[in-house]
Amino acid sequence: MSKVKHFIQQSWLLLASSFCFGLLIAITNAGLSPRIVQNEINKRNRMVGALLPEARNFIALDAPIEIESLQGKKQKVEVYKAVSEANECVGWSFNAAGPGFADQIVLVVAVDANFEKIASFDVLSSSETPGFGDQIKYEYYRSQFKGAPAGQLKLVSIGEPKIIDSQIVGITGATVSSGAVVDILNTFLGGIKAQMKEKGLIGDGKE
Amino acid sequence: MAKNDQRQPGLYRRALLTGLWQENPTFRLLIGMCPPLAVTTAVKPALTMGLSVIFVLVCSNLVVSLMRNLLKPHLRIIMFTLTIATFVTICDLYLKAFQPQMSEILGAYVPLIIVNCLIIFRAEACASKCGLVVSLLDAVGMGSGFTIALCVLAGVRELLATGRIFELQVMPAGFVPWLAMQMPVGAFVTLGLLLGLANVVTRKEPD
Repeated sequence: MSKVKHFIQQSWLLLASSFCFGLLIAITNAGLSPRIVQNEINKRNRMVGALLPEARNFIALDAPIEIESLQGKKQKVEVYKAVSEANECVGWSFNAAGPGFADQIVLVVAVDANFEKIASFDVLSSSETPGFGDQIKYEYYRSQFKGAPAGQLKLVSIGEPKIIDSQIVGITGATVSSGAVVDILNTFLGGIKAQMKEKGLIGDGKE
Repeated sequence: MAKNDQRQPGLYRRALLTGLWQENPTFRLLIGMCPPLAVTTAVKPALTMGLSVIFVLVCSNLVVSLMRNLLKPHLRIIMFTLTIATFVTICDLYLKAFQPQMSEILGAYVPLIIVNCLIIFRAEACASKCGLVVSLLDAVGMGSGFTIALCVLAGVRELLATGRIFELQVMPAGFVPWLAMQMPVGAFVTLGLLLGLANVVTRKEPD
């Protein structure tokens, strides 16, 4: 009994403070989390809307697509069907993530209706080095992917960036970041395309 | 305790002003050096970080000052950490909700305020020994000194790295940006030069 009394005497302030602080954080989180979630949705919608300008609505597939990530783990990816005002499929979009130079790079990727060509991509979040790795966000690098085949891309150090093909010219001083984007796209495009073909969502067996 | 605070003439003024220069955390005490090196690539993130530190410092100093008579000596560090972590979490959630872009730029450095030794140092050296008013003034003074130092560092780096400050072109059109100023080396070099300048300014003539 004396041990319990000693414990309470010593730690009551810590226990009471933990409870009060925990409550304070819970209230703040409850108050702000809808706005935080909405911010994330808005950001993605803004980006994907710019990538597929003819799309008016994005409808998530009934079940997420399961692919093997760069680390060799199974990963579920939400794929959205982009539909025009006439309710026609104008493309597909999904989030793709993988390791960059500093931290995880998260991309929003858009492809055409047949999953044959990349419409474009944008960077949802990254911590790449300002002035170097963060050039993956810049138009002159991203423009190489517009219309590139939605298959295996290859990073090259020398080439003509204006020629749209499967060769992507890396950014000088940011080879790791440029390569990371190519690896992420290769992993996700290949994995998702194969799964969607299997499900009959694209290709000859399209629903 | 507030009465005790008032017994020493000029105590409030000293508590407020000491942190601005005489005991400036960055230029004079060299404590809490992670943000000055990591988030000073531009003035906006530096200012946001500075304001976040002021918020956490003010709140933690007030809470520690309120509970100072109840603190057990062997539990004081965990109590300080718990208090600081609470307010840092609230600050992080607030930034994610209302300043999502800035929250992305600052990344992990906002949660890292928890281990900023400036805040725990002021809790130990001032708030756990002084009344509410002195603790509040000390937090405002120290936080402002820290913010000013961050902004000065960021101003120099942003100006030399981009030729702009707050997205306003300052340098002439022919200016060649020093990209190295956005890299860690830029932070170390600028900080070193500013520390040298601070030492020259405060140098006393030998007797």
